[in-house]
Amino acid sequence: MKSARRLQDVVPAWLEAHRDAARRSLQRRLQAPVLSLISIAVLGFILALPAYLWVLLDNARALSAHVDHDPRIALYLDEVEAGAVADLERHLETDARVERWTWIDADEALATYRDGLRDPGLLDWLDDNPLPDVVDVVPATADPETVAALREALAASAPGATVVSDDEWVRQLNSLHQLGLRILAVVGGLLGLGALLILALATASELRERREEIAISRISGATHGFLRRPSLYGGLITGLGGGIFAGILLLIGIGLSRAPLEQAAAAFDLEFGLALPGGAHLLTLLLAGLLLGWLGARLGSGHALRDAP
Amino acid sequence: MIHLQRVTKRFGSAAEALSNVSLRVDPGAMAFITGPSGAGKSTLLRLIAGLERPTRGRIRVNGHDLDRLSNRAIPGFRRSIGLVFQDHRLLFDRPVFDNVALPLEILAYRRPEMRKRVRAALDKVGLLHKETVNPRTLSAGEQQRVGIARAIVHRPVLLLADEPTGNLDPALSREILQLFDDFNRVGMTALIASHDLGLVERMGKPILHLEDGRIEARAAGAPSA
Repeated sequence: MKSARRLQDVVPAWLEAHRDAARRSLQRRLQAPVLSLISIAVLGFILALPAYLWVLLDNARALSAHVDHDPRIALYLDEVEAGAVADLERHLETDARVERWTWIDADEALATYRDGLRDPGLLDWLDDNPLPDVVDVVPATADPETVAALREALAASAPGATVVSDDEWVRQLNSLHQLGLRILAVVGGLLGLGALLILALATASELRERREEIAISRISGATHGFLRRPSLYGGLITGLGGGIFAGILLLIGIGLSRAPLEQAAAAFDLEFGLALPGGAHLLTLLLAGLLLGWLGARLGSGHALRDAP
Repeated sequence: MIHLQRVTKRFGSAAEALSNVSLRVDPGAMAFITGPSGAGKSTLLRLIAGLERPTRGRIRVNGHDLDRLSNRAIPGFRRSIGLVFQDHRLLFDRPVFDNVALPLEILAYRRPEMRKRVRAALDKVGLLHKETVNPRTLSAGEQQRVGIARAIVHRPVLLLADEPTGNLDPALSREILQLFDDFNRVGMTALIASHDLGLVERMGKPILHLEDGRIEARAAGAPSA
């Protein structure tokens, strides 16, 4: 009995028991390869869809970064007194929310404008320069709330200036991206739940096939943990396979979408290359597969073993 | 080792499978339970092994009060028992060695020690040369001996056998009972159910007779009720 065994054997024996359970689980899968492959394929398909959406979303965000989307704040100083301009300059120098700023002199602006015209003589009939001095401010962050607060602060330190910011479309883009993430979470969550139930069912039916072994083991004093162990390793094997298969599907899917997406982007005058999923994407897929496989096996085995004799 | 006090077992609304059974088997003893099929022999053994819970009464086995044993404590209790079934209940998806090794796997023995013990158990039942074959290819008597090797491989303190000779001819049956006697001689308490009164009487051990779930009579030197 137990007393005859040495304490120092406990950890190696435990490791051996786990290795045996994993080996046996793998053997059982190799003996019924078609069923195992179906489980792996189902998990792969289920994981690949949200992963595909995720990669597209990431690319869309990269696309919006590609189009210069740093929010800007422009101050038109046409009705600002000279003293206030000095205050404004001090503010711009000290406010940490300001990344950089440029003073665009009204005369310079007019000269630039004149250079751009096909017939510069057109401007000669103007009595004086209608353009105001402009301060072009680049905020340190694209965060819409910070940009809005900075805008308020600048307007307060330059009374009379017309302050215009283009953070509105950043807000819109951000909310679209948030919506995309939300849809991804819902779709991914529902599919994950479905995968969990399918894997739990597969585990339960595998345990039904093992019921004689389980009954005998129970009589011999096997614990729940011992009986469940091969199933958990089975879940990890299925999860690993499903994760790898989903990664392959994702690479194929993105590869096939590349040309049409780039053509569509070109139609909008955007230079855009669809990036292949990176290591982080593939690693996440693998981990998601392992987690779902393990959880599904745990769910299925918990249920089946509770009902077993 | 075994102490039952006024134990009753009823399955659902059916008649009582066991009625008010009291008995006592001392450590190191060997005893038989006899009676026709349906008398409650299997139920009695299953109660003692903790596979069923009594409807009424107290069961104390190897220092454990079974009616107070928590679900978590049951596996530990069962590891101190060896069980032999009439139908062997061997696993045909693995060789003889792995069948016998199962209780040691559950006890997380390491490979070398496991090998030693399994081979010792197989040697004791005379099947060492069959360790690699599938039990399906063995005769009924050999299968029963594999089942016995599995029941004793972890050296339990108590051996329970339910009709271990049920499917065997008289010569093989005597051989099997002789094996139990050998285990008992080295200190294992043994309680064996059998309907074959003639065979059992020749062993010269205490006998308990069950009839319709009640203890009917006791042979000389029977376990005290």
